[in-house]
Amino acid sequence: MSYLLPNLTKKKQVDSIIRDTIDKVLVLRFGRASDALCLQLDDILSKSAREVSKFATVAVVDIDSEDVQVYVKYFDITLVPSSVFFFNAHHMKMDSGTADHTKWVGAFHTKQDFIDVVEAVFRGAMKGKLIVSCPLPPERIPKYQLLYKEI
Amino acid sequence: MMKSADKKRKKESKKCEFEFCKVCNLNHDHGNRHKYFPNHTKSLSTFLHRFQTKLSDIRFFLRNPTILRPELASRNRFWCVVCDAEVDEIGSSFACANAINHLASADHAKKLKHFLWKYGGGMDHADNFRFSEADLAKWEKKCHSLNDGSSSCSDRTNGLQIGPSNDIQNELSYKSINDFENNNLGPLTPKFLNNVLPLQYNTHKYQISQSGHPATAADGRIVCGDFEHIGWQNSQHCIPHTDAVGTSNFGNGGLYQGKHMAIGGSNLHGKNLDLMVIFSGLASIAQVSVMAPGLAEGNVHTGAPPPWLEMTVEHHPEDTSVPLSSKKGKSKLNPKRVGAAWAEKRKAELEMEKRGEIVNSDCGPNWLPNFGRVWQSGSRKESLKEFESEKPELPKVEVDPEMPITLRPYVSKRMVRLCSLWPLKMISFR
Repeated sequence: MSYLLPNLTKKKQVDSIIRDTIDKVLVLRFGRASDALCLQLDDILSKSAREVSKFATVAVVDIDSEDVQVYVKYFDITLVPSSVFFFNAHHMKMDSGTADHTKWVGAFHTKQDFIDVVEAVFRGAMKGKLIVSCPLPPERIPKYQLLYKEI
Repeated sequence: MMKSADKKRKKESKKCEFEFCKVCNLNHDHGNRHKYFPNHTKSLSTFLHRFQTKLSDIRFFLRNPTILRPELASRNRFWCVVCDAEVDEIGSSFACANAINHLASADHAKKLKHFLWKYGGGMDHADNFRFSEADLAKWEKKCHSLNDGSSSCSDRTNGLQIGPSNDIQNELSYKSINDFENNNLGPLTPKFLNNVLPLQYNTHKYQISQSGHPATAADGRIVCGDFEHIGWQNSQHCIPHTDAVGTSNFGNGGLYQGKHMAIGGSNLHGKNLDLMVIFSGLASIAQVSVMAPGLAEGNVHTGAPPPWLEMTVEHHPEDTSVPLSSKKGKSKLNPKRVGAAWAEKRKAELEMEKRGEIVNSDCGPNWLPNFGRVWQSGSRKESLKEFESEKPELPKVEVDPEMPITLRPYVSKRMVRLCSLWPLKMISFR
């Protein structure tokens, strides 16, 4: 499914998409095409990409690519899939009740969940907020365990 | 995390019960503080403005009472937002009589004060939303005089301005009545109706034009069934009226109001009459006078362009200003949005690149976006610096595994001590 979305394998590509997406939310999915959960997320993303196209852009980044490892380290990507939100080259955080507010870990249950999340990010960004709260109920948010970096 | 939880608990304790604000059309638990919120004040100003426009229409009838026909009474309704009540005009003999009485009533005044207290808006503006007793008394006097002079009322209506001045239908029909009278069209009574009339006869095919092709439409023939407004320009001579029943003369141009009028062309009495109007139950026709000669040159049937297209052609030289203003509208995105300054700067850079100018971009191979890391303890710039300081460590980490690792069995301190003491003990035993 990732062939329907821009697939980024180089740092330059990631840089350019972050810098060129102006006044729109940018969703960067970090994952690999061989992972089942990643495929599920990609399915949701590709189907809803058009519906959010007025206020969001979606792209996928291959986490196994060497050129992109600097971003994997910078964004502290430890679990796959992870989606990071940007607005005007600024990182947007989302408080969904999980331990990591800097990214969305896991997939979405439905397209509407994804659209609601992106809409919440967009609305918060337009109001000048760098962190927004998640509009989804807790049962629809994927749970995970975040390990401290030195363990 | 704990501080935010404490703040949330404090906020929850201050919250009141939910109530509905009909100005903002939402439920809130802000209590009395809600009326001071900027969103509420904005909603209130639009809300009251809308109510004011309706009141201004009624105020017109307060100053110029008009007799209300019973069949039209059911169409007039007024919703008072202050009292949350609908005021209809069934049974009233004058236009907006019930509404005027309601707005002048003490009950409405009391509820208005409560409304202004609850939703803000200033108690001193209360008089704008109600009628005083003096106004009511004047209106009643005028109504009495109208009633007394009702026998000659039909002659007088032509002279009276009918309806509020911003009512297009009334305006046109008022003009049309005057022009109509000047045309001396005999049997047709110049009573004016600005409302829709019920269909009393079915529209049959023979009523619609059968007199040939639009080639004859140069005369301005119209073929239609039900319609509301039809305008045409007939630059030809007047069609002589032949029947006293329902047909009429049309001069140059005509505008008709009212639904369910069948207009068609047909041959009547051997003459190729272009138009025949059949209207049932109606005793009046509204006719609009000819427009300026320049505009009367073409119409839909002659294939002339519509007036609004001509206007856009004139405005073409001004169009260059339109896209600029639309661009300005787009740039009126919230200036406080995230990364606004960066976005403006980047847009300027992209425009320069489009023009072909070389842009000194600060995007090197080591550029990284503004990111708040998971374990950051300071601002985002500090986390970036922290990452950049970590980066030189990465190649070192990669080198270390290449060194051979010697594996040794684990030896506890006690064993080490014993081993070091063992030769001495051996000697002592000996």
